[in-house]
Amino acid sequence: MPDYDGVNGLREEFRVVGSRNLPGRLSQALATGVAKFGLDYVMPGMLHAKFLRSPYANARVVSVDATAARALPGVVEIITWEDEEIRALGSRGERFGTSKPWLDNIADREGVEVAVIAVAESEDICEEALRALVVKWEVLPHVTDLIKGSREGAPVIRPEESTPPSFGRPGTVNNDFPKKGNVYHVELISGDIVEGFTAADHIVEYDMYTPAFAAHLPNPSGSIAWWSKDPYQGDGPNLHIEGAVREKHAISVMYGLPDEKTIQEGLFMGGKYCDWGLRKSQEITPLLAKRTGRPVRCVNTREEMYDFLMNERYLHLKVGFMNDGLITAVEDISVADHGSRGSSSFGNVGDLTQGPFNTMKCKNVAQRMDVVDSNRGIMYVSGQHCPFNWDSLTLGIHLIAEKLDMDPIDVAKVNLHGPASQDDPNPVPSFERCIEAGKKLMDWDWHKAGVKVLPDGRMHGMSFRYQMCPRHSGVVYKCKLEYRDGVVHMPTQGPLFGAYVVEANAMVVAEELGLRYEEVSIDYDYREPFRAFGGGSDGTTASAWAMKECANLLKRQILEAAIDYAENPPQPAMFGPPPAEPGPFKGLKPEDLDLVGSKVVIKAEPDKGVPLSQASGKNLFATYTGRPPLSVWSTGPMGKVLDVMNAAFCEVAVDTDTGEVEILRFGAVADPGLVLRPISLESQIDQVMYFSQGCQLLEDFIYDERTGVRLNNNMLDYKKPGMLDAAPVEREFIETRGSNAVYGASGISHSLANTHLVIIAIQNAIGAWVDPPATPDKVLRALGKA
Amino acid sequence: MDNHEPARTSEMIRAVPAALDEYRCPLCGACFATRAELARHYEGEHPGVVAPVVVALMLNGESRQVLIEPHWTLQRALQFRLGLSGTKHMCDRGACGSCTVILGGRPVLACTTLAIECEGMEVQTIEGVAADLRWKPLVDAYCRWDAMQCGYCTPGFLMAAKALLDRNPHPTEEECRAALAGNICICGTYPRHATAILEAAMLMGGEGAIPVSEDGGGADA
Ligand code: FES
Ligand code: FES
Repeated sequence: MPDYDGVNGLREEFRVVGSRNLPGRLSQALATGVAKFGLDYVMPGMLHAKFLRSPYANARVVSVDATAARALPGVVEIITWEDEEIRALGSRGERFGTSKPWLDNIADREGVEVAVIAVAESEDICEEALRALVVKWEVLPHVTDLIKGSREGAPVIRPEESTPPSFGRPGTVNNDFPKKGNVYHVELISGDIVEGFTAADHIVEYDMYTPAFAAHLPNPSGSIAWWSKDPYQGDGPNLHIEGAVREKHAISVMYGLPDEKTIQEGLFMGGKYCDWGLRKSQEITPLLAKRTGRPVRCVNTREEMYDFLMNERYLHLKVGFMNDGLITAVEDISVADHGSRGSSSFGNVGDLTQGPFNTMKCKNVAQRMDVVDSNRGIMYVSGQHCPFNWDSLTLGIHLIAEKLDMDPIDVAKVNLHGPASQDDPNPVPSFERCIEAGKKLMDWDWHKAGVKVLPDGRMHGMSFRYQMCPRHSGVVYKCKLEYRDGVVHMPTQGPLFGAYVVEANAMVVAEELGLRYEEVSIDYDYREPFRAFGGGSDGTTASAWAMKECANLLKRQILEAAIDYAENPPQPAMFGPPPAEPGPFKGLKPEDLDLVGSKVVIKAEPDKGVPLSQASGKNLFATYTGRPPLSVWSTGPMGKVLDVMNAAFCEVAVDTDTGEVEILRFGAVADPGLVLRPISLESQIDQVMYFSQGCQLLEDFIYDERTGVRLNNNMLDYKKPGMLDAAPVEREFIETRGSNAVYGASGISHSLANTHLVIIAIQNAIGAWVDPPATPDKVLRALGKA
Repeated sequence: MDNHEPARTSEMIRAVPAALDEYRCPLCGACFATRAELARHYEGEHPGVVAPVVVALMLNGESRQVLIEPHWTLQRALQFRLGLSGTKHMCDRGACGSCTVILGGRPVLACTTLAIECEGMEVQTIEGVAADLRWKPLVDAYCRWDAMQCGYCTPGFLMAAKALLDRNPHPTEEECRAALAGNICICGTYPRHATAILEAAMLMGGEGAIPVSEDGGGADA
């Protein structure tokens, strides 16, 4: 276990960690609607703001005549991109790509904020004002079809940009190709694929497609801001902003304020699953509030939240392999979306360095990618899918299985390298245990494609996939614990974003201090430095490692204070209750004592002690700043060294008359090292399976090719699975304690999310491939019936 | 049902900043002390424009007069005039259920219901349900089972669950799922809602304690 550096990493007995049904500390607030998200805030006398949004996929605003808009009753300001204060703005949130003005006259996707902000007494008046603008547009050619956009002669949409996209450590990917038209070419080559293909007994090839799908934050982004003067906060104005949760610092820097002058009391940021991009509506309100002297609210509509895409990708896969299934060479040639300005390249170039091929014994791998500038949408970091091109290998394994009539699990076993390196022939213990449990869970009995008919006449299909549990948290955590008036307090700024990160930390504190979970007071305060994340489950287990260290520092102090209290009991005061009776600790050393059952007790005589709440009259606090040892994934090997892993399974039934696909069940076996909070892990797995179901059966952006306009920017036409759609998920957890964070636990990130597990199961059912989303019409077409 | 007195919701509603009750002209922002003054202002300054109106609601058992613009949805009236943040706003067009309230005994979507149409009607929001101790087992069960992640959709789900239990105090798991079919949870919390509702139904029906599994927790999902 890599936790040797820490205290109690080898703990065997757990009272609190691993317990079920310990409610989230803010769950009552969430369930009852008391929890306020950015768009929920209203202030007396507030103004509203709205951005002009481009109706074109690619255009330039040549001029704006705002005379009529300004004359409308209720309009307070019409501000254009040429305004000096707007020109001075610069975003400090997560941003990528070539730097660009915060707001300008270039619209490089439909619906993007461009050129004008209207401020008015109501949202309706803002909208009316925007309609009253006389805008002269220069409409430019657009690229929403990546294949057309990558062809020679295609209109070049960003000739001024030539810096190749990069993500990950510099130098790992060869970016050294001049940009041609809209296309950057990047390559990552290892070994010798020519030799590998020559040595192969078989070669299979396949064209795989991954559609774009939406990040789809539950709560539309937005903020409200106002300024105040308050002697408690020192000289000068204070900025209050709600709705930019987690980004207080980014807002402070953007407006040149020290952090302590920016007040943000809200804790609830909504479901954030790697889309950390700040929207303009979250950044502009402080400026508008300052200009108008009133609170200003700016909130996106749901339509406006369809801005963030998961990358669309076309991939041609060629795999050479031997008669026993051993892969000898892989060539992966893809065309991937580079999105509009400011997009990250995490989901395209970043994929190449972090991909699945690192887990294979075979070292002959060529990945070549064309990354295409487009007007499709912006891509922040990643989102609701596994952040790697994992399913190219999953698909390769199934192609081999089909060809050799061999169970894909056995194909995976033949190809997976050992824990220590790509040359290590040993099995990976975590993988072996996941497979063993998964086979039982699913009654795994693999069959070839198109052969199994269910009693109701539908075709049965099944699929399998493995993944590492990659962890990336390298964050340093600033922990503080207090023993105050007999109670242990864990102060934290939150925030709350859809994972129970703070609760897992409190469970670890309770474990180490011999308390019940409920006895640890979680004190939310936006001024506190402690934030438990850095990735979801990944950050939780990493922060909990640091909090464990902090708890042990506090424990030492409490034990010392209990002895001190016994040796120097306070005199009764003239007023107030008599002091608590000290414990029988005179002459003892801290090593002689322990915290057990919410008491300070003598180790040798555990029934002798005092309640923790009466152990000392002192207030104590401990701090710890640090992080666990880095995970093997983030120290560089990215899959070339393997520890904790997981496996996913899917079973489908396909009606060949209607083309309808039913996911009979997903199976997930995960080894997160150790489970801290079981319901959190179950929810995380349910969620990724739900995302996976959505993107393989329902979700896709439909563009009007002629205009480049997206046609389904709403929740009626862009379908997400509902309660009756969501497939059953069966899960099982393995605890090898083989990871880097608290007690050998780790996060699993969204590694179980997948883009092709269902698609492969459909192929296994009907013997034909269907591109996702596998809607009934596409299934029928694949069957030659439509 | 237990013997607790239903809590009054008035305190929660009075916690709204008083100034949200002001008579502010939605067109030009001018503020007035009375509705009559606001009406006179409209006649003088904005002739021909429909002035705000007052709608009477029986909100969570309290009689409320709410100044609205005639085109306002019920969701907007609850948030902007009454400061109630529990009726959430995810899709804005009747596709997600986040804005579910109970109107005249039936669950409706407040984003597609005009406030003006609710004149004289009983409106129950999540704030009312939360303040009514009879429904505490439902809220508690949602919390015990983590039937929420980010929690944005959750009040809408709870209102749909409450409406189900109003008409069917002993639903089956299938009935729970069907009753929540109109609610979307982007975080994918679906598997835990029926568990929470069934547990609450059992407790509210006085059918005893929650079954405890070997690991000390409740029945598995
Ligand atoms: S916001 Fe009303 S149904 Fe979605
Ligand atoms: S809990 Fe986040 S949308 Fe349902």
